[in-house]
Amino acid sequence: MAGFTKIKDYVDTSVLNGAERYYSWKKSPNQATTQGIWFDLSMSPGNPIPKYWFDATPLTAMNVAQSTDGGLMHGSNVTPSNKYLKELMAMCVTAAPLPMPMILCDYLLYYPTIDDSVSGAQTMINNNVLTRYTSGAGVQMIAISEATRTGGQSFTVNYTNSSGTTNRNTPNILETGLAVTGSLISSAQTSTYAAGPFLPLQAGDTGVRSVQSVTMNGPDVGLFAIVLVKPLAQFNIRGIDAPVEVDYLKDFPVIPQITDDAFLSFLCCPQGSLSGVLILGTIKTLFN
Amino acid sequence: MAGFSSMDNFINAATTLNQRWRADWNKNFPPTTTGVQGQWDCLARGAGNPPADALFNTGTALVFQPVYDNTTNGTSIWHGGAVNPAYKSIINASAFTAAATVAPCVLVLVDILGFYRVTATTTTTAQATTNTQMAFATVTCGTTNILTTASTGTNYAINLFPYTRVQFTTTGTLPTGLSTSTDYFVIKLTDSTISVGSSYANAVAGTAVSITSGTGSGTHTLNTLLPRYTSGAGVQSFWWATNATPLGAGTPNCSHSNYTNSKQTSGQVTPTVLPVGKTACENGAIVYSGTAAGKYGPFMPLAAGDSGTAQINGIQISTTWTSGEFSVAMCVPLLTLPITTLGVASERDLINQIPSMPRVYDGAALYWLIYNGQNTPTNSAMVGHLDFAWN
Repeated sequence: MAGFTKIKDYVDTSVLNGAERYYSWKKSPNQATTQGIWFDLSMSPGNPIPKYWFDATPLTAMNVAQSTDGGLMHGSNVTPSNKYLKELMAMCVTAAPLPMPMILCDYLLYYPTIDDSVSGAQTMINNNVLTRYTSGAGVQMIAISEATRTGGQSFTVNYTNSSGTTNRNTPNILETGLAVTGSLISSAQTSTYAAGPFLPLQAGDTGVRSVQSVTMNGPDVGLFAIVLVKPLAQFNIRGIDAPVEVDYLKDFPVIPQITDDAFLSFLCCPQGSLSGVLILGTIKTLFN
Repeated sequence: MAGFSSMDNFINAATTLNQRWRADWNKNFPPTTTGVQGQWDCLARGAGNPPADALFNTGTALVFQPVYDNTTNGTSIWHGGAVNPAYKSIINASAFTAAATVAPCVLVLVDILGFYRVTATTTTTAQATTNTQMAFATVTCGTTNILTTASTGTNYAINLFPYTRVQFTTTGTLPTGLSTSTDYFVIKLTDSTISVGSSYANAVAGTAVSITSGTGSGTHTLNTLLPRYTSGAGVQSFWWATNATPLGAGTPNCSHSNYTNSKQTSGQVTPTVLPVGKTACENGAIVYSGTAAGKYGPFMPLAAGDSGTAQINGIQISTTWTSGEFSVAMCVPLLTLPITTLGVASERDLINQIPSMPRVYDGAALYWLIYNGQNTPTNSAMVGHLDFAWN
């Protein structure tokens, strides 16, 4: 049976069975981010190599997977076992962006290059569908800037929710004025329509299965992608003097599952510029 | 057995059975007016994910309206739906703000059970509420003196609390020993079986009403007021402004002129010194919260010896608010999460760090209250998550 029925299973898996993997990662963003604006590290150089959200046909759904796109290495597929996040370590030796909360996500599907300057609905082409978390349960949308922007306009997204109900609509979402590729354009600290990293959904919805269209409420300058992600775990780099170490059984017991071929990367919310900053760490997974 | 009896139980539920849900939320401070340091607000009125509610200023005034996780326009934080016969708990929580002048603050997660809308803010006499019990569970009597309960509608039989005051209705004839339009008090035997006492004291003593003759006929229904925490045990209440237009001028004393406590005793009143309402109280603000004389924390004070509220029978303001409306919410606080520092996420492990594993009942409607440690700007964004697991 996949998973762990008791603590002894968990320990045996790690200690006796060797079903544990350990990988390191490093990201070196070079964008001059600003305080309080969420940022996606996927497009930043380092290990893993960048994954660009403008590398495919505009407005056309593209799947994301470790085997084709990279992301944090977490080991090969383990079916019929299940794989879990056991431990995570992260550190940053530059004070400017700290303290900095980070969220580990499984990136599932993206819609490249939505044009801020287009008025009217931009219709997505859904030739590809979710291959992980296929119902969309718990799946969120992030909107990542692909190019410099003016900002200040708002937009809405028409989507299908995790129950399969179509024609659902987000409220108006304000575009941040931060002209930095990789920033989450919905992210704002205090403004009408301000949102966090994830796009707000229509009342009653808890997940997203697909996006049908995006409508700008007025012309702006810029390009962005919408990526469907499943948040898995979060942690917090508080200072340059101490790496953050999280054991997801002992510290924040949730033991997130990492599905086969998951594409893992981070969202972060710096308190200053990430230009020239090195963020590095390790990830430990185990499977049973 | 439902719930977690060991870490083995937990790891099995979380991994093998995948009995968990992660809720990522972001809520903004209400949009109308800057929050005042020392004052409490409810974030239900703020935009974000889930979006602002469009519930708490709707419906018939002074009538108790229950709230569930799927109530239209309720926009509570989704926790994974009903899991009975399992028990669900919160196991981790986090919250973060990058908005200047939000930190420090304190967030309190509450399950709002229902509310009374109050629209007559120039009436200074006690306003009587309407507390109509609703169908909570169907019951059958297969064993002498024991009733088996089953969920009905949006209510879950598993949520029935001991000593709840209930009444029965039927489409036929109740089993001999039970009558309609009569108060009974629950003696909880299991999550799906009860007996009933003829008084609160009898229920506490375990003295059951004798149900002597079979099943009766038709469908029998057990009715309660509250959808969860049905006896009122641990249930608090708070008054908050729930309209985009602020309350008018006025600083009335706020009181429950009559409430029923969790021992099912009616006629209880808010003790002196009465909470003082805020003039021109803004959308989302808890009207009597603050630091000045006559100000209180988020919840209405209870009479000495009381530990919960089963229902509110009368609501009174001593002088007028010249306009506007407010709402009286019945709730149970589940979790406290202080955000100490700008940019630093507050993280709570509720199994190891602060072992509490707050239970989330099926149908729970989860919302955040915020204690403003500073003057919180409108629309300030707060972000976080909740991990739930059940077994």
